[in-house]
Amino acid sequence: MLCDVCKKNEATIHIKEVHNGKVVASNLCGECAREKEAKGEFGTLGFNLAEVLFNLGKLSASMGQADSQQEETRGEELPACPVCGWTVGKVRESGGRLGCPECYRTFEPMISEALGRFQRGTIHLGKRPKSAGQGCASTLRFELERRRRELEELIRREEYEEAAVCRDRINQLKKELEKCDHPAPPAAEPEKETGDGSAD
Amino acid sequence: MDPQIERLLGNPVSFLADSGPDEDIAISSRIRLARNLAGRPFPSAASDEALCEVCGLVSDAASASGALGCPECFAFEPETLTPLEREILFERRLASRDFLARNGGTRLLVSNDESCSIMINEEDQLRIQALRPGFQLEAVWEEIDKLDDELGSRLDYAFDERLGFLTSCPTNVGTGMRASVMLHLPGLVLSGRIGPTIQGVNKLNLAVRGIFGEGTDNRGNLFQVSNQSTLGESEMQILERLSNVIGQLIAYEKNAREQLIAQDQFSILDHVGRSYGLLRHAYKLSSEEALNSLSGVRIGVDLGMFNSIDIKKVNELFIAINPAHLQLSAGRELSAAERNVCRAALCREKLKQA
Repeated sequence: MLCDVCKKNEATIHIKEVHNGKVVASNLCGECAREKEAKGEFGTLGFNLAEVLFNLGKLSASMGQADSQQEETRGEELPACPVCGWTVGKVRESGGRLGCPECYRTFEPMISEALGRFQRGTIHLGKRPKSAGQGCASTLRFELERRRRELEELIRREEYEEAAVCRDRINQLKKELEKCDHPAPPAAEPEKETGDGSAD
Repeated sequence: MDPQIERLLGNPVSFLADSGPDEDIAISSRIRLARNLAGRPFPSAASDEALCEVCGLVSDAASASGALGCPECFAFEPETLTPLEREILFERRLASRDFLARNGGTRLLVSNDESCSIMINEEDQLRIQALRPGFQLEAVWEEIDKLDDELGSRLDYAFDERLGFLTSCPTNVGTGMRASVMLHLPGLVLSGRIGPTIQGVNKLNLAVRGIFGEGTDNRGNLFQVSNQSTLGESEMQILERLSNVIGQLIAYEKNAREQLIAQDQFSILDHVGRSYGLLRHAYKLSSEEALNSLSGVRIGVDLGMFNSIDIKKVNELFIAINPAHLQLSAGRELSAAERNVCRAALCREKLKQA
């Protein structure tokens, strides 16, 4: 289904609202939803990007009736963030933005549900900051950990060919890590190619 | 005029003036990374003092590491600039409108060649950007990865083992990376195939949009293709997926152009000729007319129809005809009608010796 606004992108956000007893449906792509949000156009309709992202507030595609009492309070059982003091209400007000890094922990249930809907995976497989762990073993451990998560993801996505490649790499990393932890004596027989691409 | 803005205007816009791979269709490649500092509120929740502190920390880290050529880089305090000067930064794609509209507590660092920049206290505390001409996401990644490492070795980034880099909006969490390529796709537009193509690309979880402002606007037949998801894949996987699609789009575009020429070459020649005629002889040009005509001339350049117009000249006009650039080069504020006259004069002058 195409986006109601740009008529180009696939609509990924589907909204049904009850207005004076009438159900009003709109289908938007992420870009247009954001744009509308930025222009404050959602204000008059009574919803914003936060509500779309996090399924907050009155919005609910499955809601035929205005069971607003219960819906209005969605997510509001979550406590305020102990670091920045933001509440779910504040997140909604700011269009889905969070107050500080700690908010990811505070609003974890709400965020992890949303991530599953608009991200391709739920686990970080990319780079790590320079400050996080260096050296032979830690580099290998990091890659091993990352590959394990990657394998999970690949299996979840049913990309089995790539999963097999990933599994082989995991086995290779385990061997390398063992060597790293228990270095072979210098006269050890020459091992077959281990590849030096272990560092990221 | 702000002396730094004046210096900036003297620069050729490097992502348009230099050559890059596949430059006939791919105009530029850009990557931006969103980063924040551990234990500090994101800009929308931060006090003025907290914003100021972050500006200082990031600037110091850039200076100490020599990132962006700092401390000799450009360092703009947007709130000290006039609205027109701020708009210049937007038109040169160095800063977002949201960023420029903020009320203080922001700073923009830009390398001297404008290829890299850091918006401090946009939606995230750091929005690091690298921009290069043509289609070369890998080279852009290498550059920004290095820049990120340099800064990251001096700043304590907010990072979570499972969620990656923590960003103000969860739509950016993980890699914090948004990569995009700007493409000139007149062949697909003229042959009516742009709609299905965009739909196809969207299905692959990539976003396509016109580059001038709003989603539906494809003035100048310019489109930006970017990744939407930032979590669940490594940077290289995202870039590979995006690059594959861009490579295909470039091939489709070439194909569409060839077919148009094979089917009815006079239609294409006519389109190019009329576009050139308009730019060369009009005395009033709206922004939309100018952009669409520049797109037509750009096809002509690709087809080798002009001796003395090169792609760089056309690319530079794509920037120079924007409202703020026109007004600053005129040295005063211009009404829309005056801008149309100035725009036409600029195009006539620049395309004189074709």
